[in-house]
Amino acid sequence: MALFLQSLILGILLGGLYALLAAGLTLYFGVMRVVMIAHSAFLILAAYLAWWFTSTTGIDPLVSLLGTVPLFFVVGVLMQRVLLSRLRPATLTMMSVLLTFAVALTIEGTIGFVFTGTQRRIQLPYSGSSIEFFGAQIAVVKLIAFVLAAISLTVLYLVLKKTRFGQALRATIQNKEAAELVGIDTRKVAGYGFGVGLATAAIGGTALALDATIYPSLHWHWIGPLMAIIVVGGLGSIPGAAAAAMILGVSQSLLQIPMGTTWAQTIFYVVLFATLVFRPHGFFGGRLAQRF
Amino acid sequence: MRNASDTIIRTVQVVAVLGAALGVLLFPMTGPGPFIMSVGVVILSYACMATGWNFVGGFTGYMSLGHAAYTGLGGYAVALLILRADVQPWLALFLGALIVAAFSVPIGYASLRVRGASFVIVSIALVLILLLVFQSWSDVTGGSNGLRVPRPFGPEVLRPEQHERFYYLHAALLVIMLLAWWAIDRSRFGAGLKAIREDEDKAQSLGIPTFGYKLAVFVISAFFTALAGGLYALWFGFLDPIFQFSILIGSYMVLMSLLGGIRSLFGPALGAFIVGYALEFFKAQYGDSQFHLVALGLLLGIVVLFMPEGILPTLGQLLNRLRPDATSIREQSAEELAAKNADAQKAVDQRTEGTNGLTAASLSGSSTTGRKE
Repeated sequence: MALFLQSLILGILLGGLYALLAAGLTLYFGVMRVVMIAHSAFLILAAYLAWWFTSTTGIDPLVSLLGTVPLFFVVGVLMQRVLLSRLRPATLTMMSVLLTFAVALTIEGTIGFVFTGTQRRIQLPYSGSSIEFFGAQIAVVKLIAFVLAAISLTVLYLVLKKTRFGQALRATIQNKEAAELVGIDTRKVAGYGFGVGLATAAIGGTALALDATIYPSLHWHWIGPLMAIIVVGGLGSIPGAAAAAMILGVSQSLLQIPMGTTWAQTIFYVVLFATLVFRPHGFFGGRLAQRF
Repeated sequence: MRNASDTIIRTVQVVAVLGAALGVLLFPMTGPGPFIMSVGVVILSYACMATGWNFVGGFTGYMSLGHAAYTGLGGYAVALLILRADVQPWLALFLGALIVAAFSVPIGYASLRVRGASFVIVSIALVLILLLVFQSWSDVTGGSNGLRVPRPFGPEVLRPEQHERFYYLHAALLVIMLLAWWAIDRSRFGAGLKAIREDEDKAQSLGIPTFGYKLAVFVISAFFTALAGGLYALWFGFLDPIFQFSILIGSYMVLMSLLGGIRSLFGPALGAFIVGYALEFFKAQYGDSQFHLVALGLLLGIVVLFMPEGILPTLGQLLNRLRPDATSIREQSAEELAAKNADAQKAVDQRTEGTNGLTAASLSGSSTTGRKE
């Protein structure tokens, strides 16, 4: 029972992190119809920056967020302005996959070049400690990662709901042409939306670095589950992505008991293919996904 | 005049293709060392993979980043058939590709239901799940320790000789694939596929069984790609999940095809020669460093941003400019327009019976010149 509870809690914690990362991917797709393969490469880059920050200064990796979040925001805006806005609208979605794939390769190669391919891990005073909860052992680092993800998702939600920028962003996601008609500069929105998405990658990467052993090609390990989440959740739907992230995170964690760590990961792909056969536009999403 | 320039363009094309074919054929006789010879095999193998990829990518416009699934499965199918079922190697190569083609039917059925980006995502997911399965299922696949593939030629055939034989085998496979692509390109089936590429909804409304066509060409592509993967496995003699089911292999195929031009017969092969040579050069020069990833990423980015049509179509447009009567409007449409105008004029003449035929004639005349410019 304690094992089950522990897996359930770990699944929820993992699902929170997945939800944060999938929210970023959904933002790109929603505002620009861009499928951002490089999201997880930026995630690993943020993890490396956090590791590098802590190993050179000795300060807690969470502090590195003060640098990486604004940096990633600016990089995101620039990436949208300089690279993605050059693609022709007719083939935007397809070509964005290839272009961001190229960016992912470049980032992976650069990380390998600068930090070498050696596996890295952050050593923290609280690395080994855990708290007990009804007999279940929960690692403190996983809890911190979840709290980080929860705070960021809440902030993201408030920004989308309460600010004028959030209104413009949601309007652009719902109907780009109509948003333009009422005077929203959708190009600007797309740029900032991209920046916000990449900022979530900075937070997610730092959360990841607290707990994981990192290496340059780790992003391939992440891109599959994340892409599965946004397709299952329905491309472009943030609530759909969050729900899919939570469900898949929890099922992965629970399946680890009977199946083992590696086989449990296949749940993402099984659900993905099942979704395609039975509901090609995703289980939660709107009509967007069918066309792209 | 146009006939003459057409002949020139045709001659240039024929000479280029024959020259390339002769170059490929005679390459082993120039006496390269075993290393260069093995690079030749690798590049021809890339050309086979890219051409196999182009059955789906070129005809339908569905860009699979996960075709490494089929090269990897092809390799493992051949190896397992030889090792576990004691099948004769060449038969195993063919059987293995058939098995992979059968496997691709349900995969295609699921993944071809979505278009564009979703399809690409699913193709990536396929490779990642196969990597997981082949790493974990070590009883059958050898897991991360890899699998040794028995050599089809006896021990009396030495290594340099092996390279030469496999070089010609790969060249033969490439020719077969090119012929198949060419045949589909000229068929009704091919026309339907290209209609799907241009506008799938319209194609469907015209009565093309789009899903069946897509699935058929998807399976053909999987079959040929698996043949290429199997042949490579027989030559290389060793399989490891990390290299077989790698996203990189699939992205090589896309890059090569895009660079050469996915709408042309020889585009992917040409792209494979360029990218394959560059890849081997980077690997030999910079060894284990991650530099080749950066180079690959930058190259792919440049191709996507600045020449999504590829080299061959760009060259074709350049050649077309040689034509003296080249205009921005296609030749046929100008001719059709003239015929149409003649018809229209006749109709107008009949209707107006000469009362204001002059204005009608001048009107249609002016519209003709207007369109022609």
